[in-house]
Amino acid sequence: MKRIDTLNSRRDFLKATASGVIAGMLPVSLVRLASAEEHGADFTFAYISDSHIQHIKGSNFVRNWGQGLIRTVAETNLLEPKPDFVVFGGDLAQLGTKPELDHGAEILAGLNYETHVVLGEHDYYLDLGEYWSELYGKHYYSWDHKGVHFITLNSILTYDDWTFDRWESPERRMNEMAGLDNPNGSPFMVGEKQIKWLKKDLSKVPKDTPVVVFSHSPLQHIYKEWNFWTVEADEIQALLKPFDKVNVIYGHVHQIQYNQIDNIAFTSVMSTAWPWPYPESYAQAESHLPIMTVPMNRADPFNERDATGWQFMNMHTGRVDLEFNLYNNTNRTVAFSEEKGRPEDTTFTDSANRIPAQQHF
Amino acid sequence: MKKIALVLLGIGLASPAFADEFTKEDTDRWMTQFEQVAAEGRRLWTSPEIGTNGVACAQCHPNAANTHPETYPKFQKQIGRVIQLWEMINWCLQNPLEGEVLAADDPRMIAIQAYVYKERRGVKLDPGKH
Amino acid sequence: MKKMLVALSGLVLASAAMAGDPLGLPEVPIPAGNPQTAEKIALGARLFNDIRFSSTGDVSCATCHVAATAFTDSPLRVSEGIEKLTGTRNAPTVVNAAFNKTQFWDGRSPDLEDQALHPFLNPVEMGLPDHDPILKIVREDKEYAKAFKTVFAVAADAITMDEVTKAIAAFERTEVSGDSPFDRWYFGGNQDAVSEQAVRGFAVFLGTGRCVSCHVIEQDFALFTDHQFHNVGVGINDIQEKVPELARAFQVAKNEGMDVDVAVLTDADTSHLGRFAVDDQLSSMGAFKTPTLRNIAVTAPYMHDGSLMSLREVVEHYNNGGVTKMGNPINPFLSGGIRPLDLSEQDIDDLVAFMETLTSPRFEPTGDGTVASGDM
Repeated sequence: MKRIDTLNSRRDFLKATASGVIAGMLPVSLVRLASAEEHGADFTFAYISDSHIQHIKGSNFVRNWGQGLIRTVAETNLLEPKPDFVVFGGDLAQLGTKPELDHGAEILAGLNYETHVVLGEHDYYLDLGEYWSELYGKHYYSWDHKGVHFITLNSILTYDDWTFDRWESPERRMNEMAGLDNPNGSPFMVGEKQIKWLKKDLSKVPKDTPVVVFSHSPLQHIYKEWNFWTVEADEIQALLKPFDKVNVIYGHVHQIQYNQIDNIAFTSVMSTAWPWPYPESYAQAESHLPIMTVPMNRADPFNERDATGWQFMNMHTGRVDLEFNLYNNTNRTVAFSEEKGRPEDTTFTDSANRIPAQQHF
Repeated sequence: MKKIALVLLGIGLASPAFADEFTKEDTDRWMTQFEQVAAEGRRLWTSPEIGTNGVACAQCHPNAANTHPETYPKFQKQIGRVIQLWEMINWCLQNPLEGEVLAADDPRMIAIQAYVYKERRGVKLDPGKH
Repeated sequence: MKKMLVALSGLVLASAAMAGDPLGLPEVPIPAGNPQTAEKIALGARLFNDIRFSSTGDVSCATCHVAATAFTDSPLRVSEGIEKLTGTRNAPTVVNAAFNKTQFWDGRSPDLEDQALHPFLNPVEMGLPDHDPILKIVREDKEYAKAFKTVFAVAADAITMDEVTKAIAAFERTEVSGDSPFDRWYFGGNQDAVSEQAVRGFAVFLGTGRCVSCHVIEQDFALFTDHQFHNVGVGINDIQEKVPELARAFQVAKNEGMDVDVAVLTDADTSHLGRFAVDDQLSSMGAFKTPTLRNIAVTAPYMHDGSLMSLREVVEHYNNGGVTKMGNPINPFLSGGIRPLDLSEQDIDDLVAFMETLTSPRFEPTGDGTVASGDM
């Protein structure tokens, strides 16, 4: 009897909130948000990130990562109503080789939507983004959509001497940057040129226009040893400070993170390939994971897609509400709470709701 | 004094005469030997050659994070019974890395475990915990 | 509860050689609102076998859940209801269903009590327009009325489907079976209970076959299911092109009130949507519940649509990485964990031999392999 009652009430709910939208494909929460707003153009976009297509030999790629991206593309194509566009958040390839970028691009091309792509370090350090540019164009750029100003940064650059002088070959350079925990790595930055560009770009944007920044690195100082770090975090945050509503969405970390610093809401996105543990689980180091983040579930190593996923975002009144689509797991919604003035997990913020899989050592 | 005594006795041993009398020299040396094995473990941890598909342990476990060696032995879902750490390492070698398993006493398995435990030093034992 | 089960008289219980739970099984979970009693179980058994609860008067639960074939209708691929109408799915076994966390291949029922409600109303199963004909029978039949009065303290004219389904569920909770050759070997320590080949097969099961991760065994019991839903590439592989349109049309129809139970059993393509049809999650596309492997050797054919005829074919499907014919394209929604296995022919034979040790003595085919015929 229980099941039928639940179905009935859900049907009634959907009927009541119908706004010409086929509500069935989207989680109920998103529908509620979309129809609740009177002002501001509501729209959704999808976010796929960190696919790390890894070449083995010939036409063989690591099956696990390839399958993750293929599945994500297939699911994203089923979204109803359709998102306005899709963003790919960086690290399409694992070692930035042409076969990897081509294979990843081929899979991404299966998306039925306009796609904007962000550079990741794994795409960049072999040839400094040259082939990537042939596929996807500019390394950093901005555009406007339905009253929101979008900016894509290349936030995985690093010091010139590390990039140009330190390593004897591009392959070596790429391999050194590829290890997350590699002590030979070098911290991420956007560089002076981009800071200048960003200043100029933002000077043309009215202060009450919502701003969304796509970046691979977090534009925060989270954990330096794993490059959950952008050197000019403070400077960039200062440039964004005058705006009423700012959202920063970043990849690279392969885990759920979110934070509020002054007027900026930061949210990470998942990887489609594999999850990373939280820095606080590394016993030998101190890290600074944003305290308000409710951790994602601990990954089940057998199920390759566990703790991986993709996202769709609902823009309403200039805020990004984000749904993490997790395989074989309850989806997670991180929505901006006007009351608290920061992003919040709509289900698990209350510790009474948490499940054992959300505990980390 | 000891040295002279030994020479006089004609034994000519370089190490102390009593079994339980390690010197600091000994323990330092043994620690170094351990560190060497752990360093080899770190090398294997980041090596794309340990499996057959180029994937390295460090890709999912930077600094051996999320390996939880202090919780073994424990029931491991993927294997269906209570197991020790080395068996789980073998599971990873076989599955995500698509490679061959190592014997428990294989020097490589010992090195990998040495590295894992080293990165996890200081955490209290919690066998069975998930 | 353990004591209760053992004390029941006159019923066919799992042939447990010892008192308590059958070897290899945990305690049967009994919901607080439906405790087991001997009379309730006997009443449930009667209801389970009553062919009057169908529009044509000749189909009961036992029609598709035949005791002798481990409560399935093996060798039928999909079940046949009234007028031999066929559905789209292979009848799951009732044996050990008491341990399932959801019922049906797509988990659309939360428990045995709820599950019992649906086949009565499905047009290709019992074909009743509503439950009233059942209530009419149980209320007017003197034996039933007396039994309901004894068990539920309810007057004849007040009997509802609540009591009916509780009794059926109580009966189903006695259909548990362990103590297979595997159990005797693995949990019982009897080294001679299974062949060497089966022992090798078990090693494949745990190792290169990767079966254990979904067909779970634990330290002291084995249910062979993780209770989760996985897309293993059966059914959905054949409708890959249609999935976007099919999924969309299904959602629209569901939003307008279409009955999921009817839809999935009357249209083969819709059936292949699996769990997605129930929970609307994109990540459930084409996913089905991991069934138990107990008694699997006697419940052919296999998978939600009965499309794989033998255990060997099943293993080959997994060995191919989630396609029945090697080289066919895998569907993009394939569950994490399904991958080409590189098993040798010997490995496959051994694995099949292992699965054949999971049959409880009660369900072993008799004599020359023929199965004892049906009635309870």
